[in-house]
Amino acid sequence: MTTQLTDLETDQHLRRYDDIRDLLPGPDNPTPLVRLNRITNADWYLKIEWMNPFGSLKDRTAAYLLAGMVERGELDGRDLVEATSGNTGIALAALAGLLGTHLTVTIPDGVPEEKKVLLRMLGAEVWPTPDDLCPVDHPKDGAIALARSLAASEGGSRYAMANQYESEDNVKAHYETTGPEIWNQTEGRVRTFVAGFGTCGTITGIGRFLKEQDPSIRVIGIEPQKGHRLPGLKSFEEAKQPSILDWSVIDDVIHVDDEAAYAFTKRLYREESLMVGPSTGAVVAALDQLRDTGLAVGISADSGFKYTSYFADVLGDEGLPQI
Amino acid sequence: MIDEKLDTSGLLCPLPVYKASTVLSRMEPGQVLELVCTDPGSLADIPALARQRGDILRNVEEQPGRQVFLIEKGPVQ
Repeated sequence: MTTQLTDLETDQHLRRYDDIRDLLPGPDNPTPLVRLNRITNADWYLKIEWMNPFGSLKDRTAAYLLAGMVERGELDGRDLVEATSGNTGIALAALAGLLGTHLTVTIPDGVPEEKKVLLRMLGAEVWPTPDDLCPVDHPKDGAIALARSLAASEGGSRYAMANQYESEDNVKAHYETTGPEIWNQTEGRVRTFVAGFGTCGTITGIGRFLKEQDPSIRVIGIEPQKGHRLPGLKSFEEAKQPSILDWSVIDDVIHVDDEAAYAFTKRLYREESLMVGPSTGAVVAALDQLRDTGLAVGISADSGFKYTSYFADVLGDEGLPQI
Repeated sequence: MIDEKLDTSGLLCPLPVYKASTVLSRMEPGQVLELVCTDPGSLADIPALARQRGDILRNVEEQPGRQVFLIEKGPVQ
């Protein structure tokens, strides 16, 4: 027996959606931009990307990567493989699942267990990978090398790699959605934009869009320390620079260490009631190093729910009864 | 005596390294793995893997189009 479905269509105003994909962000459905009111007297806003349907900034990237691969026929008869520190994988697994495509993920060993478990819950096959997997002739990015070898093995017949580190679709996602959203939400008054170096699709795509609107907008990249514990960010001292990184849209690089990033993460929880992931702490720590930012926008890539094991390490016995 | 066999024919590095490392990790010290690779890069990568893990590379045999490694798992790592 078939059920007669109602004819209710997606309606943004009523927040009613026909399909989870209708929640994906864009200029007509932007993620929130929230001002920081207690950590600073300056005009700083965070773009709250954890309000996306699969929980992070990477929903945008994954949607564009998949759309490009489907359009080019790359997934015909092949499974999907990708190297990811978790968020891209989670969004890819969710979106690919809706297309009936299976995802295999190579993921750095040190990524929190929470992310690996969520990926498996979504039906992905997870290959935890040491950074220094290949003892010779490969960069430190073991997960990327492993995903490449999966895609290239067996004559390339089994897997297609989304390749967020090299795909222009990653840049396009932010050039067409996140950049215009920030411009619209600040009514063209944004003066400083801050994001971490990871795949570099975010900073390149948003930076390019904002510079086209007003070349005097400052675009700042954040680089963590070598051996850092800030998933999603890359230190170019130990990882290869992604080919999609466009230095021409970046004005400055600020270095942020784990201590500062986690200190600001804690402050965001306690002073702003923002339950962010650690990379957001790095963004605010970078803003704190800048002078005369004007209206500044930083990316809050994800929430803290996938990092509770990391936070437990940072807290130690803080918040427990000292008896 | 060979305790485990792993054939990675057709797989490119670092896949053979990953798979060999996974199999060696679940073996007992002193047990021997026979590993077959076809990626020429394995001739450098597998000995380096054994050194890195503290395993003992007992033999390397280069056959037409493939390499066969005998690796003895080292003391508990």
